[in-house]
Amino acid sequence: MSQPPPAPRRAERRDFLIELGTEELPPKALRTLELAFAEELRARAHQAALHFGEVESFATPRRLAVLIRRLASHQPDQRIERRGPSLRASFDAAGAPTRAGLAFAQSVGVALDQLGTERDDKGNEYLRFEGLKQGAAAMSLLPALIQQSLDALPIARRMRWGDSEAQFVRPVHWLLMLYGSQLVSASILGLPAGGSSFGHRFMAPGPLRIASPGTYQRLLQRRGKVLAGFQMRSDTIRAQVEAIAAQLGGRALITEALLEEVTALVEWPVAIAGQFEARFLSLPREVLIAVLQHHQRYFALEDNAGNLLPRFITISNIESPMPELIRAGNERVVRPRLADAQFFWQQDRKQPLAARLMGLAAVTFQAQLGSQAQRTTRIEALGAAIAASIGADVAASRRAAQLCKCDLVSAMVGEFPELQGVMGRYYALADGEPGAVAEAIGEHYLPRGAGDALPGSTLGDVIALADKLDTLAGIFAIGHKPSGTRDPFGLRRAAIGILRIVLEHRLELDLVALLERAAALQPLADAGARAAASAAEIYDFLLERLRSQYLERAPERGVSTELFDAVLAARPRSLLDFDARLAALARFVVRPEGLSLAAANKRIANILRKSPAGADLKVDPQRLREEPERALYGALEALRAGVLAAIAERQYAGALELLATLKPAIDHFFERVLVNDPDYALRDNRLALLAQLRALFSGIADLSRLPG
Amino acid sequence: MKTQKIGPKPRTFQQLIFTLQQYWSNCGCVIAQPYDKEVGAGTFHTATFLRAIGPEPWSAAYVQPSRRPADGRYGENPYRLQHYYQFQVIIKPSPPDLIELYLDSLRALGFDTRLNDVRLVEDNWESPTLGAWGLGWEIWLNGMEITQFTYFQQVGGLECRPVSGEISYGLERLAMYLQGVESVFDVVWTDGPRGRLTYGDVFHQNEVEQSKYDFEYADTAVLARHFDEHESACNALLAVALPLPAYEQVLGASHSFNLLEARGAISVTERARYILRVRTLARAVAQAYYASREQLGFPLLRPPDASPGAIEAPR
Repeated sequence: MSQPPPAPRRAERRDFLIELGTEELPPKALRTLELAFAEELRARAHQAALHFGEVESFATPRRLAVLIRRLASHQPDQRIERRGPSLRASFDAAGAPTRAGLAFAQSVGVALDQLGTERDDKGNEYLRFEGLKQGAAAMSLLPALIQQSLDALPIARRMRWGDSEAQFVRPVHWLLMLYGSQLVSASILGLPAGGSSFGHRFMAPGPLRIASPGTYQRLLQRRGKVLAGFQMRSDTIRAQVEAIAAQLGGRALITEALLEEVTALVEWPVAIAGQFEARFLSLPREVLIAVLQHHQRYFALEDNAGNLLPRFITISNIESPMPELIRAGNERVVRPRLADAQFFWQQDRKQPLAARLMGLAAVTFQAQLGSQAQRTTRIEALGAAIAASIGADVAASRRAAQLCKCDLVSAMVGEFPELQGVMGRYYALADGEPGAVAEAIGEHYLPRGAGDALPGSTLGDVIALADKLDTLAGIFAIGHKPSGTRDPFGLRRAAIGILRIVLEHRLELDLVALLERAAALQPLADAGARAAASAAEIYDFLLERLRSQYLERAPERGVSTELFDAVLAARPRSLLDFDARLAALARFVVRPEGLSLAAANKRIANILRKSPAGADLKVDPQRLREEPERALYGALEALRAGVLAAIAERQYAGALELLATLKPAIDHFFERVLVNDPDYALRDNRLALLAQLRALFSGIADLSRLPG
Repeated sequence: MKTQKIGPKPRTFQQLIFTLQQYWSNCGCVIAQPYDKEVGAGTFHTATFLRAIGPEPWSAAYVQPSRRPADGRYGENPYRLQHYYQFQVIIKPSPPDLIELYLDSLRALGFDTRLNDVRLVEDNWESPTLGAWGLGWEIWLNGMEITQFTYFQQVGGLECRPVSGEISYGLERLAMYLQGVESVFDVVWTDGPRGRLTYGDVFHQNEVEQSKYDFEYADTAVLARHFDEHESACNALLAVALPLPAYEQVLGASHSFNLLEARGAISVTERARYILRVRTLARAVAQAYYASREQLGFPLLRPPDASPGAIEAPR
């Protein structure tokens, strides 16, 4: 009465393509959008158990596309087996089906006589269902997967358009979805899916029928005048720029950021060279770069000696029969910008930088924290303290601090804010300020971000540190410390800058004292009273950044969370001290004595935690009754001076070496002595002994926090 | 898709305006006239700011003289003016082919988009004083920014439903480019039977005198008082449900603020407070205007071919 279950189908494999046509997407987000779309779709197809091969993605200003190679036509079928009621329960004596038998058949969706039987090991027979749950077709699953993927894209601000309620980065215009040569029927963001793409906005605006996913890229390139692959476009631009630069006898300055932005601004890149008047070359190099690269998105050119040439290369988005129109237009645009810059450069130098200090009084740094002039005074005081600590020139640090913010009120920085610091350096040099002062002004914003260079001079370090310490102290004081991903004042960046300067340049500084000073200098009513608490809070913040620096950026140092916490408990006030302890401890904990001393410290810490009074008691040698406690006390006293001296000299490896010799005495003590003696006097004396032992260890780190 | 012919390049400033007006008129826009108050940009015209609010469709194009006192340069800078012109287009709801309509306007001005490099470069717009923001682009013509293109998302603190598309042409820049001159004052304004007049002939003295006023003679105490008066007048008018006159008080307050700023009479903190005060007024006016249109039954929601005298079904 049973029929053989259907065999699982074999899924076919075909390429799948989705292209979403849009209005011009934001260039700085394009690459992220492309990769996120592909990844979201890949992950969702995987989750839906749709098998596939390679995933390729494409992105231009007007399209996001994903090509999934060899996508299975449906999810795998699943074999289903179920045992029903026994045959005796399923049929009555006359062989007619019972209610139980019928109910089982209904629950698996077949007629009773379609079911098979099975026998258990006791010989009882049961109804049995064997079937196949069919996997859903890719064509039916894809629309939802795509919708979810689009919804999950990292889009800062979604927009609406017209009277549609759809939301996306920019308005959408077409949706191309092909599975093999078949159209996928779907409607996404208000668009019905079709089988056509569109070419370049101006060179090939009509619809382009795409026969199959595999031909997409080639067809767009040949008939659509669109290079859809981001990397391919980027390579093309680089090659064109380098070729033109070589023709012009120069070398193009190609930064990755500029190349990516320009790649995201065009579908059909055509490099065009232009020039400007050679007289503008008298401008500082950074000014020319700011105009050409940042404002116009041009590639600048330099000669073999590294001097800029009066040329630029722009990447247009069209193969124009009259490229001279585009060249002339771009030359027209850059000229007034450079003329403006030259005007500022001349005007700004008519007044010495120092004369701008007055003007800083009118520039607010932050409403509660006063003007940039007040800030300058604070940086000067902090800088002098730092300079004195590390043996730098205090007078020079004062001068550099006074001048470091003056370029903020220059015309050039007003127009090109990214040149802050850079212009200050030029203007200081023009005024005949000492070279070290000028360099410090130019370097004090460093490092500007992850991976950026540090100041190259000691005085630069001094002002850079003072600037960042003041920012941290001020912004913490007014309650704007970073939370979650919100860090509008860049405090994390400032903190990491401080850590990198101090550690990489090996500067010996009492950061807690400097933070207290910085906090006390803030123009707030209770700044002085709150300075110590505030410094402690900021130092904690710094040390948390320090933790991630060791854990995430320097795994070769072998610093674990426990190890970091052990040193953190000792709260070293200098980062070099912190670093020395971490280094000694990292080497120590991997040795057998290290492990057992960590365990002993844990034990002692537990005992002391239960009887906190022990920490305050003094050891009375007369009351040490047992030999093991006398021995431990003797060993401890014999070592104490040596350990303290080693700690004072930051010879932490040596100090740990000495402490390690206590191991036999400690083991002996715990084997033989009961701390919790019924005689309270004896007990307290033993607690005091353990407290002293622990205090000596804690001078280096809290070993009880180590695993062991 | 219709194809727009490449038009002859307008030779004068006024022909540039005529061409744009004719083009957008052909597209079905109301050709409005400038708003008769001092404003900072075409967006402040009631034809944009207020008409962008609410569900009623609306299409308009107009020239708007705009004032930015802080940009005055005494007529000495070839590109900067404290008084200049914007050509503004607003269409609600933004049609799907709005970018194409815009590109056709460039073609009408004689720019062949197969020869020139026209690009849309992300540039989002936010007006803290109007409580408004939108997403869009600046349009580059061979590397020069000639237009701002924005899809309004919020106006006066109200979500835009439907969304308006706004296009703002910088007329002086376009004219300089079309005429190939290096100074705005050399732009030919008209060249006819009564001779040739330049932008400088028409406006140079105004730039010199207004810059002096803006930077040297504007009485800051009086301006601060005007600001306060506009603010209270606005509130009083809102209390009697007169959003249009109330809006004019917002414009007055905004202009007083711009003048105070040009005079350097506002510190950074005060600046934030002034902006907040204007925004508060703008939001209140936006809400009142919406309510007033709602009370009228959103009259422009009638089918487009309904005759003007047709009786509205109650909504």
